[in-house]
Amino acid sequence: MYERIIPWQPTAIAGPKQALLVTPKTAKMMIKRAKRPLFVVGPIIKEDPLLKLTIDIAKKWNIPIVTTGDAYKTLRDREMDSNPYGIVEITNLLKDPEWKGVNGEGQHDLVMFIGCIYYIASQGLSTLKHFAPHLKTLTICKFFHSNADASFPNMKDEEWLNYLEKMKTA
Amino acid sequence: MVIHVAPKELKNDFWKSKDIKISFGEIIHDGEDSEEKESELEMGPTPKPSVTDLRSWDMKLLDRYEPFYAPFCDMCCLCTYGKCDLTDGKKGACGIDIKAQQARIVLLACCIGAAAHSAHARHLLEHLIEKKGEDFPIDLGMNIEIEAPIIRTVIGIIPKTLGDLREAMDYMEEQNLHLLSACHTGQEGSNIDFESKALHAGLMDNLGKEIGDISQIVALNLPKGDEDAPLVELGMGTINREKPVVLCIGHNVSSGAGILDYVENNALEDNMEVCGICCAAIDISRYNQHAKVVGPISKQLKFIRSGVADVIVVDEQCIRTDVLEEAHKNQAKLIATTDKSCMGLPDMTNEDPDKIVSQLVNNQIEGALILDPDKVGEVATKVALKISKDRKTLKILPEMDEIQEMASECTECGWCTRVCPNSLPMMSAVLEAGKGDFSKMEELNNNDICYSCGRCEQECERDLPIMSMMARIGENKIKEQKFNIRAGRGPIQDVEIRKVGAPIVLGDIPGVIAFVGCTNYPDGASDVARMAEEFLERNYIVVTSGCGAMSIGEYRDEEGKTLYEKYSGDFDAKGLVNVGSCVSNAHIPGACIKIANIFAKKPLEGNFEEIADYILNRVGACGVAWGAYSQKAAAIATGINRWGIPVVLGPHGTKYRRLFLGRTDLEEKWKINDMRNGTVVQGEPAPEHLLYAAENREEATVAVAKLCLRPNDTSKGRQLKLNHYIDLHRKYFGTIPEDVYKFIRVEKDIPITYKKDIKAILDERGWLPKKITSEPSIRDFKDQSSPENFKNKSHPKADAK
Ligand code: SF4
Ligand code: SF4
Ligand code: SF4
Repeated sequence: MYERIIPWQPTAIAGPKQALLVTPKTAKMMIKRAKRPLFVVGPIIKEDPLLKLTIDIAKKWNIPIVTTGDAYKTLRDREMDSNPYGIVEITNLLKDPEWKGVNGEGQHDLVMFIGCIYYIASQGLSTLKHFAPHLKTLTICKFFHSNADASFPNMKDEEWLNYLEKMKTA
Repeated sequence: MVIHVAPKELKNDFWKSKDIKISFGEIIHDGEDSEEKESELEMGPTPKPSVTDLRSWDMKLLDRYEPFYAPFCDMCCLCTYGKCDLTDGKKGACGIDIKAQQARIVLLACCIGAAAHSAHARHLLEHLIEKKGEDFPIDLGMNIEIEAPIIRTVIGIIPKTLGDLREAMDYMEEQNLHLLSACHTGQEGSNIDFESKALHAGLMDNLGKEIGDISQIVALNLPKGDEDAPLVELGMGTINREKPVVLCIGHNVSSGAGILDYVENNALEDNMEVCGICCAAIDISRYNQHAKVVGPISKQLKFIRSGVADVIVVDEQCIRTDVLEEAHKNQAKLIATTDKSCMGLPDMTNEDPDKIVSQLVNNQIEGALILDPDKVGEVATKVALKISKDRKTLKILPEMDEIQEMASECTECGWCTRVCPNSLPMMSAVLEAGKGDFSKMEELNNNDICYSCGRCEQECERDLPIMSMMARIGENKIKEQKFNIRAGRGPIQDVEIRKVGAPIVLGDIPGVIAFVGCTNYPDGASDVARMAEEFLERNYIVVTSGCGAMSIGEYRDEEGKTLYEKYSGDFDAKGLVNVGSCVSNAHIPGACIKIANIFAKKPLEGNFEEIADYILNRVGACGVAWGAYSQKAAAIATGINRWGIPVVLGPHGTKYRRLFLGRTDLEEKWKINDMRNGTVVQGEPAPEHLLYAAENREEATVAVAKLCLRPNDTSKGRQLKLNHYIDLHRKYFGTIPEDVYKFIRVEKDIPITYKKDIKAILDERGWLPKKITSEPSIRDFKDQSSPENFKNKSHPKADAK
């Protein structure tokens, strides 16, 4: 168990405050409870089955997508629209309680991450942990992110894909 | 002789309020004749600025580009009250909050970086004064009159001799002390003030580097702004392993120069190899083209493990601190040469060289600390000549079949991958090697995707010598590791600035992009070269230095040419300009300062704010530190930022904890003052950020093109810049960028090729034309000379636009 809940890159550990370990069930609860969730998709998501799963999850929950790095193009090639931002730019906006969100409807209250480079995501999650008390962060990568509010554990591919499959259902 | 352009006692406010011009003949000099006796020079408001003198400028920058913090650690352990937990809005026992704590650590990093560069500069300066005398002239040749743009602007003097540089050095050292003291518990409490201090530390870093590079250029006769500086050999495959090999690691040229002198004086050039890693390599190859460049810092552990070097000479900065242990592994001899890194070795500086040689060769001492560069030259050479033959018979690296056998012991624990800074798939590479397929390890070795930090090896529960395995596998293709680099040319010539100043300021040359810094790359070294290539093909001026310059050299285009072979060293469109080592980075802001002075006739002396404001609003320059890892890189970037030049970091750059990001959604942040007519106008987000970190090369490339936009661009220039931005966005994102409307001021700004699409975007956004600012500035009107005065000082061409 221990191996599953220390940060994937162990030295990303920042201090006493650690993410809550979640299963797809709890993750889905968080999405259901959120009023204005946002899905941040990073450039590591390039190919199927991951790409398809990611798109399916976004569609299932009808969550607006922000793409980081050059992930915008990857999704666009699959006819999936998204809002391109640098990961540091979107993090900067998310920490401002006054920001109106990607759709101009108000700041988001839940941000779910997948596919960003581990260490830069960890830094962005740290920013949000400290400076965005108005929102919760959830990571559904196969890596435990201790700087998130809630995170999947470290997993092997097979288990992870299984987790993501579960995220596609209500 | 130093030309003092203003008496020191007169304080800043005095100059601010009176806008005084001084004519004086009382230049302090010790030479007899001075052509400059009757100089009429104008001193600006802030010669030798104190920690707070440029604070108001910093506040303007920090208001627009607010610090963005990504805490790398939630705690503070700086004093014994701690550790203090700073999460959830909690403050430390001293009262500091998480923002100020992050800013304090950034300031600390900048102070360390500035100290490293300037202690290096101080050492060089005193060493060279000892060799050449304090009256040795600062003469950079016919084409360079503005010899020290940073010193002129910050200190307000025109240094004429090596001895004159001491004044700048003294000032810098004092400032750094004040800045460092602010990091003590219970000093500064505001994150913004910490940032202002960090910007000051960055400026001190820039100053230290300029002192260092000018000293070595003039005293050691390194290339003086020579655009045709020779191509020198680069790569692990260029080293003749049959010969005795001396390897220099670090940044200080003194000991390397000592070695090269000894080799040359004893006609040993053909009998041995002198090579370097990191900036030491760049600087010894500027000194003597017999020296070879092994490569950037990413090669350090691989190359030491390969055992090729008989003698390893370390000086300062970025050397592996376990180099003694590593040297012992393959019976290489270590010589430490500076007070910065003595490595626990006995001080042999005052011993007879032959005695040191004998003690080293006979293993009576485990290495030597020798603080006299000439003695280092003699000892290193003699030791290499003596031990080389025997060492060549040593078996240093495992054979391929041994690698396979070792690799097959892997337990698949996976920790090598987890501790890797880039999470590289080392485990699967080892597993494949265990089955006799080495291609995955080879892939990791290529282009320094694995930069041999050694963390995986430390972690391996089977103690597999992963680095030695990698070094051996790399040797299979060692012959391909032959490249070149244009020797670092130092400053940009005044004549070049005269030629390109207008095209840069008006936007006809789309930008000046500087690839600098270390090799903490997210995905190998070729990303930097590919970015450089992309911008060279697009007519940008590409400047480079240090490890970045070496990474660019390690790449061949489709025709097999290195970019240094393909592009000239001119500071002009399509020029690839290697300025030199880390300290040579000073010439990059230096070139921007010269544009303000030579093209726009802005006086430099004591005039920091006006110059920085000019650069921010008019000079489309952008730095890229794709693999920045060090405190020096933090200081370099922060210093560059204070001059108004944006910098893009790689993803690891977020671990510096702080960026400076603009908010394009907040229009009020982009109000700009038009100094021509004293009006405040709605400007555009150009440049959008001051310190940005991108997640991958694709994002960075597009960001860099955008960060070259400036409020001052003419419509023609704006079209050109936007054209590149849009092209690159289409290439990497597949679309015309949605934010393009923010950068169209008038219809004429629309690039012709994209007219239809952009018009559609403009219509959708309800776009209305804006006034183009004639003289954009973020300074207060009251801080400027009167508009009349301002115009008189401007160049006619600058006025005409
Ligand atoms: S310096 Fe302040 S925050 Fe840091 S350990 Fe001491 S009291 Fe705590
Ligand atoms: S040596 Fe290479 S593979 Fe190993 S941890 Fe460092 S970068 Fe990663
Ligand atoms: S750390 Fe060693 S044993 Fe573990 S997976 Fe990597 S190579 Fe194998």
